Amino acid sequence: MNIELILFGAFALLTLLSAGMVIFARSPINSAMALVSTFFFLAGIYVLLWAHTVAVMQVLVYAGAIMVLFLFVIMLLNLGESPTRGRPTLARLAGGAATVGLLAVLTITLLKLPQGASAMGPEAQASFGTMATMGQVIFTQWLFPFEAVSLLLLVAMVGAVVVAKSRI
Amino acid sequence: MVPITYYLLLAAALFCMGMFGVLVRRNALVVFMCVELMLNAANLTFLAFARMRGDSIGHVSAFFVIAVAAAEAAIGLAIVIAVFRSRGSVLVEDIRTMKH
Amino acid sequence: MNLAEFFQVAPVAPDLLAPSLGLIIALPLLGAFICGVFGRMLGRANVHLIACSAVAGAFVLSVLAFWATSHTAPGAGDGARRLLAFYRNPFGIEADFVRYALAYDYGTWFAVGDFRVNFGLAVDHLSGILLLVITGVGFLIHLYSTSYMEHDDGYWRYFAYLNLFVAAMLTLVLADNLVLLFVGWEGVGMASYLLIGFWYTDPAKAWAGRKAFVTNRIGDFAFLIATFLMVLLVSAFTRQANAGDYAMAGSNSQRYQAALQEKGPLTFKGLEKMAEGLMDSNSDKVDLTTPIEAGPLEGYTFGGVMTAALLLFLLGAAGKSAQLPLYVWLPDAMAGPTPVSALIHAATMVTAGVYLFSRMAALLVLSPTAMATVAIIGALTSLLAALIAFAQDDIKKVLAYSTVSQLGIMFMGVGMGIFWAAVLHLVTHAFFKACLFLGAGSVMHGNGDETDIKKLGGLRHEMKWTWGTFLVATLAITGIIPLSGFFSKDAILHGVHHNHLEGLHWVSSAVYYLGLVIAASTAFYMTRLYLLTFEGPRSKEARVAHAHESAWQMTLPLVVLAVLSVVAAVYAFPLMRSSSGQPQAVFENFLSPVFSAMNRIANGAKTVELDTSVPHLADYVFAWLVALSGGGAAAFLYLRFFPARAGQPAPAFARAVRRTAQNKFYVDELYEFIVIRPVKFMSFILFRVVDALLIDTVAVRGTAWVTARVGSALRYVQTGDAQAYAAVMALALLGGVAYALIQVMQ
Repeated sequence: MNIELILFGAFALLTLLSAGMVIFARSPINSAMALVSTFFFLAGIYVLLWAHTVAVMQVLVYAGAIMVLFLFVIMLLNLGESPTRGRPTLARLAGGAATVGLLAVLTITLLKLPQGASAMGPEAQASFGTMATMGQVIFTQWLFPFEAVSLLLLVAMVGAVVVAKSRI
Repeated sequence: MVPITYYLLLAAALFCMGMFGVLVRRNALVVFMCVELMLNAANLTFLAFARMRGDSIGHVSAFFVIAVAAAEAAIGLAIVIAVFRSRGSVLVEDIRTMKH
Repeated sequence: MNLAEFFQVAPVAPDLLAPSLGLIIALPLLGAFICGVFGRMLGRANVHLIACSAVAGAFVLSVLAFWATSHTAPGAGDGARRLLAFYRNPFGIEADFVRYALAYDYGTWFAVGDFRVNFGLAVDHLSGILLLVITGVGFLIHLYSTSYMEHDDGYWRYFAYLNLFVAAMLTLVLADNLVLLFVGWEGVGMASYLLIGFWYTDPAKAWAGRKAFVTNRIGDFAFLIATFLMVLLVSAFTRQANAGDYAMAGSNSQRYQAALQEKGPLTFKGLEKMAEGLMDSNSDKVDLTTPIEAGPLEGYTFGGVMTAALLLFLLGAAGKSAQLPLYVWLPDAMAGPTPVSALIHAATMVTAGVYLFSRMAALLVLSPTAMATVAIIGALTSLLAALIAFAQDDIKKVLAYSTVSQLGIMFMGVGMGIFWAAVLHLVTHAFFKACLFLGAGSVMHGNGDETDIKKLGGLRHEMKWTWGTFLVATLAITGIIPLSGFFSKDAILHGVHHNHLEGLHWVSSAVYYLGLVIAASTAFYMTRLYLLTFEGPRSKEARVAHAHESAWQMTLPLVVLAVLSVVAAVYAFPLMRSSSGQPQAVFENFLSPVFSAMNRIANGAKTVELDTSVPHLADYVFAWLVALSGGGAAAFLYLRFFPARAGQPAPAFARAVRRTAQNKFYVDELYEFIVIRPVKFMSFILFRVVDALLIDTVAVRGTAWVTARVGSALRYVQTGDAQAYAAVMALALLGGVAYALIQVMQ
């Protein structure tokens, strides 16, 4: 029982709990707050995976920017608790059953996988998941997708303004 | 250290919870949040495999997923606003124009 | 500088001109594009200017190219001049040059595996003379058309098609390989179809266009199969030939294979070399009786395949050049405007078959069977068409059958190995038949589009220019000394008489005597046509009281063509000396570089015995008497006999003959019975059973019915609820993952 496993267990449990709150909370505000905590705990798990840069970006982008957007929209639309629970339709029952089935199948599959991680040398460990390493890869091998994503963000920005505006 | 399988199991559970929310919740905003959960599950898988293989490609993929998720959230929420303006509701069951 | 030297020094040297050969085709093509796309905007005068100048430009370039094929420079010795117009034959040995020619290869057009076709153009004396005819006569006819079509609203369409035709015909003539030639071959067929059906609102004319097209397709199909056979033959030859074969052809294995790699198997030069290699000799391995060892033609002999391919080419040429059994389209093609008939259906396109065989003369002389077939088909077609022409009353129909008949004479010449005379007849025929057609057009133009010669007459005094030129052209085609038609036709008949095919000696005399009958018949029907149209009193049934002479744009081409039909005779005079010192006709000498391979093969393979003598005076007198007898008979009948018996019924026998001839010997009806009815019956069965029942009812309507039923059942699934759709996706995902898991676990 080492400290890493304990940390992982704690984070995983908290992540699943918050995720459960996201889907079961009655008020969208509560869902959104639960989602923020999910993102934070996930960032912790990313750190355990030595993905420090992605963990930082997770907090910045997801917990920061995206969540602010969600909360802003909820407040803008002035959404409170949903007055009634929707009645369970056939589609929802089927969807729920499919989800449970999928979880079962995935779990069986994953448990059959060989365990373990590749051992990395100390110098590889030192540079793994750092900003420098990622930057190296992004700006050489993945430069074109990177530029394409920047364009995508620009288009999304313009698109969001156009779609959300009441009249142009 | 923690076996990679644990991470993958966590990702699978997170994915299924997200999917469950997408399929069951009626509020479009919450559906969106659940989509974000699913995306995070996918990210977690990327990072777990990156850790297992010891290369950075998984990190780069996660980075791109985050960027695309940001774009998707912006557009999606804009659509939710537009729909709310035109129909006065964000409930999925009220938006059934696809039937015609 | 004396005159001979003037003609031997071209203004543009061959190596400078060669890369521009493509322009000869490109100019009319550009004209067709501009007239066809912008013609309506440009207006009538601009379209005339563009169309005529495009062809005139092509004519100037053709003159330069033709001139360049004889380009020389002063040599070292006194009097001897050095020839500069030559190019290296890639299929021959290093020092093998094609003399009196220029060529340019624009690179690969397409390549599939080992098969390659280049966009290569070549001008030698044969294609050069045809270039001049096409662009020269083509220009005159464009000029004529500007006046003839002055009242037609479709002028821009007309000139676009006409330019397109010229471009396609030039492609046909300039091509240095069979595939490119086929492009031109199809192109002229299409332009011909468009122009025959030019007045497509008249169903009969549109039908005539379709008939021409379909008949031509049959021939084109044979042409294609023959081309494929040639490819197989070349590959079999390269597989089996040994050094002896290549030595025979004046080449060697490496050079030949390299040239095949570079130029593809279907160039005329390569085929010529193969033909030479197929000759029998002591040291070779492959000759005409050698069986092919491998490939789809395994077991057949080279000679047999060659004969089959040539016979298929004959069917292709028969389609394009209106020979038996595919001649039926040409008389109906007169539905098009008259200048079109003059250009396409008299002067140029229909001679494509003669050109094809002249171009492949080296192959043709390998097979006496094919040659005999060509000659006999030509003779029979010629005779049949001449007899039909006896009783036709439509001025253009008479000329159409006359064209078929004259083309038959050319085929006789080609079939008997007297290629130069066939080409000469092609050229002179282009002049006088174009003149006749344009004259007929002028007559129609001046007489309210009347085409029935029974309702014309007496035009001699009213249309002086038309009359004069028509008379000259009539005398030329009839074969009166000293006009060109006499000499070219006589050269063919002389060659037919004195050449002998190996093992088929009877063909020579049979075709010769048929030829005499044809000559007399030609004189008869042409004299009849002339007399009824221009002489005698004006018919009481004439549409207009007084004919008017046409404008200068129409009479000028007539005069030029009439002059040309006189002076072209000079080509047939034996003014030159052959290499052995005998007198030789100018044109034979002129074309000898083109036909040198053919001569080598004919002498080496002993398939045809070529005669080099020139006709004696007695021959001329005899031929003249034959023509005179035909013309005299017509003159007697139509000037004395029928006018004297006016009002009396003709004898029953004469009426029966006339009716048969008038109905074209019922060939169309025969085809209707043998070919069209069965095809129609089969089509009807296919229509009822396959199309109406299986395809329409079961396949088409059945599909629609099932789709509709399934669709209305599935309507209830479409709730419009996005989450329901997502649930279906989730279920499918679950199914897919579970299936994958089961597969992996097993």
